[in-house]
Amino acid sequence: MRSIRLWYKKSGLAIYTSHLDMNRCFTRAVRRAEIPLWYTEGFNPHPYMTFLMPLPLGQTGMREPLDIRIEDDGITNKEIRERMNSVLPDGLEIVDASKPENKPNEIAAAEYEITAAFASVDEAKRFASESESVMNGGILNAEKRSKRGIKTVNLCEMVRSFSAAQSGEKVIISAVLASGNTVNLNADLLINALFAELSATAEAVEIVRIKLLKEDLKIFE
Amino acid sequence: MYPKETEKFLLSVQKPGRYTGGELNSVIKDKNSVDIRYAFCFPDTYEIGMSHLGMKILYSLVNSREDAWCERVFAPWIDMEEIMRKNSIPLYALESGDPIRDFDLIGFTMQYELSYTNVLNMLDLAGLPVRSADRKELTPIVVAGGTCVCNAEPMADFFDITLPGDGEEVTMELIDLLKECKKNGSSKRGFLEAAAKIKGVYVPSLYEVEYNEDNTVKSITATCGAPEKVEKRNVADLDKMFAPSEFVVPFLETVFDRTTVEIFRGCIRGCRFCQAGFLNRPLREKSPEVVEKQCREICGSSGYDEISLCSLSTSDYKGLEPLLKNMLPWANENKINIALPSLRVDNFPKELMEQLNTVRRSGLTFAPEAGTQRLRDVINKNITEEDVLSTARRAFSGGWTAVKLYFMIGLPTETEEDIKGIADLAQAVVDEYYNNENRPKGKSVSVSVSLASLVPKPFTPFQWEPQDKPDVLIEKQNYLISCVKTRKVNVSRHVPWTSFLEGVFSRGDRRLGAVIETAWRKGCHFDSWDECLDREKWMESFEENGIDPFFYTARRREFNEILPWDHIDYGVTKKFLENENKKAHEGVTTACCREKCAGCGANRLNGGVCNEINKTVV
Repeated sequence: MRSIRLWYKKSGLAIYTSHLDMNRCFTRAVRRAEIPLWYTEGFNPHPYMTFLMPLPLGQTGMREPLDIRIEDDGITNKEIRERMNSVLPDGLEIVDASKPENKPNEIAAAEYEITAAFASVDEAKRFASESESVMNGGILNAEKRSKRGIKTVNLCEMVRSFSAAQSGEKVIISAVLASGNTVNLNADLLINALFAELSATAEAVEIVRIKLLKEDLKIFE
Repeated sequence: MYPKETEKFLLSVQKPGRYTGGELNSVIKDKNSVDIRYAFCFPDTYEIGMSHLGMKILYSLVNSREDAWCERVFAPWIDMEEIMRKNSIPLYALESGDPIRDFDLIGFTMQYELSYTNVLNMLDLAGLPVRSADRKELTPIVVAGGTCVCNAEPMADFFDITLPGDGEEVTMELIDLLKECKKNGSSKRGFLEAAAKIKGVYVPSLYEVEYNEDNTVKSITATCGAPEKVEKRNVADLDKMFAPSEFVVPFLETVFDRTTVEIFRGCIRGCRFCQAGFLNRPLREKSPEVVEKQCREICGSSGYDEISLCSLSTSDYKGLEPLLKNMLPWANENKINIALPSLRVDNFPKELMEQLNTVRRSGLTFAPEAGTQRLRDVINKNITEEDVLSTARRAFSGGWTAVKLYFMIGLPTETEEDIKGIADLAQAVVDEYYNNENRPKGKSVSVSVSLASLVPKPFTPFQWEPQDKPDVLIEKQNYLISCVKTRKVNVSRHVPWTSFLEGVFSRGDRRLGAVIETAWRKGCHFDSWDECLDREKWMESFEENGIDPFFYTARRREFNEILPWDHIDYGVTKKFLENENKKAHEGVTTACCREKCAGCGANRLNGGVCNEINKTVV
């Protein structure tokens, strides 16, 4: 038995697939690819497959980790990647397959690119400069839902870095947000809190998770 | 793929995957290189429609032609419909995202009567007039197939064409004809008259219906050369018939999230309430070799880990044992679960049963349908109490602790004793558990009783029978619940208003078209969903059109009455059904087709079990 970390890109149509459906989708893809999955040995055998940081519905992920276990029969990581890519539906692609280097609980942050399109260049300019001031000010309160109920939290405490650049009618935000099992900030919550704070309305928002990082902001491998 | 303008709304609706398309194995073609564009519509949600085998077959079949492109369309859920109407997004097909009003053929599969309002709603969302007469152009032609079109009369004003029977061959012939008519620039009328000459095509607008003073049908007259009787299409050889080797694999979880391979059509049993059993006669089997090949292909191309072998009564499949013996090693090795719905376990080899359960254990269900032997004889359901109990005994010894039993109420000749019999039979199963020394230790038993109400259907021996009114059914349900004395038995029941509406439309006539349209205009849709069914609006709609719905349900029909569906021919004769009805009232059973031919009339269609029987007779 061998553990493999698959790194996949989720974009286009696939962003509308929920986490539970992703599970089903990958289970079937692995079967179609005839990858010799390792099955648990319990009463109801099932393949071992873990999404380390499920991506919220509607967001693009450039390099998302998925751990699987296979029966070790000499199949190379490159072969696994190629076989998977020949059977995955549009919008899902394996960009890499590697030996897991870090433990899942080492994920501490994630790098995002958030693009917001506005009705006018002026609106974009205002949002770019004012959103940076808010974030530099260090206070942006929002209601955050957790298992223990809804509470108001200061989102700035969960933002490691933030910059906004205006380009035409668009604003492109580069941000590193807390991510992981203990503290986690959904990029969707942040951008909507900024819209509310600045009374801004965007025509469209696109959220892309670029990569996952460790506490020291080095890349999670 | 979805049209660009819907993109910004996708994240504000439930389950956006219903509306995106782009699933694995969905077929994309160049629209400029095909002659016929076919929108295959399922008038319910994506999850239900994507579980339907008929749609998968016809989708692959039409797409196997180079000159045609078949795409899928489902009824958008209420949240999406609101967005589409507000933003003027017309109903689109999932593969191309193009509006279906520009297609050549719009095909609906009609599996249940309570999806009628969804058909109107979908046509309207597409930007098309709902009535056939108001769609003047040659295309799109609106066709319908599926179980409900055995009596398409309530929908006669809306459909241009219906296709009783198996859809495979006739769909292809219809596409050929439409292609030719488009080329010749013929009129819609010209096309419909030509189509009516194809066997198995019913064009409602070519038939005139007259009514008697008492609202019964006086006459049905074919015009313009349409046949007096429309005989259903019947695929003779399932081995030679096209079967898909690829299924579209949805991102979303669907109702039946697995592959399905058909093992036979029709049924030899002749249960008198069962419409599917009579509509699909004669029984036609696929050979085990073909079934196995199709299972392997589909699992390989889809990645599903469960196969359902589908039929009306799986244990009547002659090739079942050899098939399972061949398939089980492969299934176990690949961790594939084989599901056998509609299986009678009483005479099923124990070793196979055990092997079937090595991958994942499925539940145990049993359908005695009625609580006493007397009533089971009336409905010709040849299962004895001992069959039920001996099966339960074996199941409990094998480690099962949950059993599901299906029953019906509202059956002809039913008495209180029959209803109490349901509770008694469930109790007997509970007792069987506690008397069984090999039962799983330290566990309790659970017997679920699922209670449906009889809806007498066309082309069954019960087509003349009155249907119990909803309040009577509720009384009967309550009486049954009062008879259950243990918490080990759990009764689940249906809303009788659903059965009532189903009853009105299944035996209805053309005058109901106006009612359906009124109800839809009042906002009725998704009527098969309890949370959507609006009883008040439906009753208002009947009243506004001067129609008493109980005329269709609560009345006993005379044997000599002309029934609204008399001009449709499913092989089985009216005389045979009448005899079966009389035998039901006498409590006399009829043997299954393989034991003795009952002379139902389906042998004049082509093939199947009738040939097998004829051979043994000769």
